[in-house]
Amino acid sequence: MADLRTSLAGIESPNPFWLASAPPTNSGYQVQRAFEAGWGGAVWKTLGEPILNVTSRFAAVSFNGQRVAGFNNIELITDRPLEVNLKEIYETKKRFPNHAVVASLMVEPKQEKWHEIVKKVEEVGVDGLELNFGCPHGMAERGMGSASGQVPELVEKQTYWAKEAAQTPVIVKLTPNITDITSTAEAAVRGGADAVSMINTINSLAGVDLDSWNTIPHVGGKGAHGGYCGPAVKPIALNMVGECARHPRINVPISGMGGVSNWQNAVEFMLMGASNVQVCTAAMHHGFRIVEDMIDGMNNYLDEKGIASVRDLVGQSVPKYSDWGNLDLNYKIVARINNDVCINCNKCHIACEDTSHQCIDMLQDGHGNAYLEVREEDCVGCNLCSIVCPVDGAIDMVEIESEHPPMTWNERQAILSGVQDGKANTVK
Amino acid sequence: MTEYAEYVLEKEQIDLMLEKGYAIKEVKENLSGAFVTFEKGKDDSDILHIKTADGRKYFSNLLFHQK
Ligand SMILES: Cc1cc2nc3c(=O)[nH]c(=O)nc-3n(C[C@H](O)[C@H](O)[C@H](O)COP(=O)(O)O)c2cc1C
Repeated sequence: MADLRTSLAGIESPNPFWLASAPPTNSGYQVQRAFEAGWGGAVWKTLGEPILNVTSRFAAVSFNGQRVAGFNNIELITDRPLEVNLKEIYETKKRFPNHAVVASLMVEPKQEKWHEIVKKVEEVGVDGLELNFGCPHGMAERGMGSASGQVPELVEKQTYWAKEAAQTPVIVKLTPNITDITSTAEAAVRGGADAVSMINTINSLAGVDLDSWNTIPHVGGKGAHGGYCGPAVKPIALNMVGECARHPRINVPISGMGGVSNWQNAVEFMLMGASNVQVCTAAMHHGFRIVEDMIDGMNNYLDEKGIASVRDLVGQSVPKYSDWGNLDLNYKIVARINNDVCINCNKCHIACEDTSHQCIDMLQDGHGNAYLEVREEDCVGCNLCSIVCPVDGAIDMVEIESEHPPMTWNERQAILSGVQDGKANTVK
Repeated sequence: MTEYAEYVLEKEQIDLMLEKGYAIKEVKENLSGAFVTFEKGKDDSDILHIKTADGRKYFSNLLFHQK
């Protein structure tokens, strides 16, 4: 059995699976049951300024039979008194001393407010703090959450204020509602963050009802934008984690979240630079016990790969993630159709003919049987045919040896800039 | 003519110029493709208009790998 223990900026946890700050971590009852089920850590539902919630709060986007492909909410932070939460945090930490209990915090962007709340939560024994600069609705209108989190100077300043009072590690949770998340991640690092976490939810409207014309969800006929999460946001979150992980000045650990639903997703986030993962939607959809599969799956994966510790996964794919200009223009793959597996549905032909490079021919053999064949010289290796193909193994994308060694766009432009004014004379 | 066939023609034209002793002197790339000036000696020059993406990749490779 592999060693699943992790450490995020010194916050120790028996495994890399934490519950994200959200309804699953609303109370001591829930967090303790989650720890019993196997979760390694929990970021408590955000504590902060008094709020009131509305009903309804959630909506799901179903896609092709998947009930919760995406999840949308207009819920705010905790609506319970701070003292009640602190008492339950204390009791939880006492019962589970080896599990990670992190307090998520959101107050107005004022130094004394940050000092006050940091001191209060640290008194009850939390292992760390997560500053919620990400909530996209409700709190943002009051200058908190993503309204703070979109302005690098405010991220830096508030991180600094939290750090002034903090004894435990400070994680800064970032909003994805920004063009370049590395600018706010860097601001957090400048403010002294011990770690960053991402992503919070993405501004969204789940839908509009075709009969009532109400938004989904709506509150008595009125709607407001919410925050999107769940499987649909995973690619966005993974990119943001990767962009931060490969950024030279963001040199703090990352806690990754956004659509993590199983152990495979967790491995991806860790390979892309996350030291652990946080989960919300998948737990809300399937319950706390999904963590059993996550733990088993991760253990088996590591054992099969001969990897002793889950920590050895962290960042392994980061050097493989670069800018487009550094990709090899001479690398070439083409599609090959396996006619013994192909069911002749022609989806690849239609996709290629209508929307790609018209290189899949519909042919007939000597017995009049239809078959499909790729004209490899015209294939640009875009993958579309294999993406739309409904049968596993019917289309392989195979590598074709290039007649030239690697050359990137950046290298090409550099060499061309030398022959733009007619000065150079390099090829004979 | 498929794009590949167009590329093969362009490649042949480029190779022919090089075989004849011309060298790439200048490349001007714009929205219409690349205009590659070949030169032999002082006052013998010719321009090829290379339109296909593979053709533009091809002469770039020649320049890049024989730098
Ligand atoms: C209903 C709901 C409430 C949430 N409340 C909070 C919150 O109070 N504080 C916070 O930092 N994030 C909150 N989040 C965001 C999650 O912590 C997490 O960042 C996001 O859902 C992405 O993870 P997921 O795709 O696993 O759900 C909330 C998410 C949902 C769905």
